[in-house]
Amino acid sequence: MTLPDLSDYFVPTQESELIDLLGRFGERAMIVAGGTFVHGLEARGLLSEVEALIDIGRLGLGGISQDAAGVTLGATTTLAELRRADFVQTDPAFGALQDALDYPPVQIRNVGTVGGCLAASAPLYDVPAALFALDGTACVRGAGGARDIPLNEFFVGLFENALRTDEFIAAVTLPKPAARTASAFLKLETNANDLAIINVAVRITLGENGRCADSRVVIGGGVGECYVRAGSAEAALEGGKAGGELFATAAAAVAHDIEPVTDQRGSEAYRRHMAIVYTRRALERALGRMVTGGTNG
Amino acid sequence: MKKLVQLNVNGDTHELAVNPDETLLGVLRNHLDLIGPKRGCDSGGCGCCTVHVDGKAVYSCMMYAVSAQDKNVVTIEGLGQNNDQGNGNGRELDPLQQAFIDAGAVQCGYCTCGVIMAAKELLDTVKNPDEDEIRHAIAGNLCRCTGYQKIVDAIKLAAAAV
Repeated sequence: MTLPDLSDYFVPTQESELIDLLGRFGERAMIVAGGTFVHGLEARGLLSEVEALIDIGRLGLGGISQDAAGVTLGATTTLAELRRADFVQTDPAFGALQDALDYPPVQIRNVGTVGGCLAASAPLYDVPAALFALDGTACVRGAGGARDIPLNEFFVGLFENALRTDEFIAAVTLPKPAARTASAFLKLETNANDLAIINVAVRITLGENGRCADSRVVIGGGVGECYVRAGSAEAALEGGKAGGELFATAAAAVAHDIEPVTDQRGSEAYRRHMAIVYTRRALERALGRMVTGGTNG
Repeated sequence: MKKLVQLNVNGDTHELAVNPDETLLGVLRNHLDLIGPKRGCDSGGCGCCTVHVDGKAVYSCMMYAVSAQDKNVVTIEGLGQNNDQGNGNGRELDPLQQAFIDAGAVQCGYCTCGVIMAAKELLDTVKNPDEDEIRHAIAGNLCRCTGYQKIVDAIKLAAAAV
């Protein structure tokens, strides 16, 4: 036994049952979707107080749907299912997701879930950075009813998020992107199966004049307690002519927004430098996608 | 408190009493004596515990056994068992297993079962994968001996054979 206080493993089949369990066990409950993050914590001895594991795999929370407002990703949609979605494969606006979903190995993609990777609130993960840059919103439910939490407000610290103990993520929504939008994601890693040294997700929308009308620059890896939305870089992009010169200026600005750490994966100075390099490359990658065309105009 | 679970492994159904935090890997190795899946990093970093659950490659060290309830689990021991050619032993090697032998893709062997299970999903889903697809498919599996070249050669060989 690696969870000394564990009393039971629950597999609720009704949401009301899940909410009751969350109410009963509070801080001592741990929701399991794909389970990959739970094991990461368990292996590090960080789950010693967990009394109840609650498997949400049989609540019917999976599936992807699209309508005029955008796309809805059920919480237990696996990363493999999301990667196969048409809009991920073909729409330049969702390019960041396509890129980010390429990094996890197949064994993680097959079980890791959309809701789980957000709830983990580990800024070293790749897919949440992309969802953040696409203005994702977590749709949560709990004893007090349903509410929507924009990812901008969802991540509040390392392994900490805005969920109350009685709440769970039911779905993630992504708004329909504006015309002339493209996004991209890049990750710097030590090997093909490691957490990010730094990762970057960007999204740009161009006006008719080819200037940047809107942008998101999100940086993860060891650059802060949470993903960092690089406001300085976004401000530098605003209204500028999309291209190498503007992107270099905007990328340099991320240095003002991040507070990199030094650890075994890289030093503070290395991370700061590579965040700049990878931001510029991600912006160029997004622009390249827009130039080569796609389905969103 | 133990939980009773029903696991379908390599075509056989087992009812087992397991601790709720026991991993699928632990149950396969310790309860069912299926020691093809190996315990390596125990945290989803090396891939030598890879098995299939409902036809998909997963790290069995990161899945609770209770969550595999009623799902179909296949380990390396379950490959090829439907290939009975009447040769007396009731089973033949899967083309991937044969290709690893033919290409000399095994050194210490610790990673081999996991690599084969990851490659199996690739060959089940992609016909004639190219080298990039092969390397991408086994990116979640570490081998510290071979430098991967002979593993890639073996998977190409198997792809040509199926």
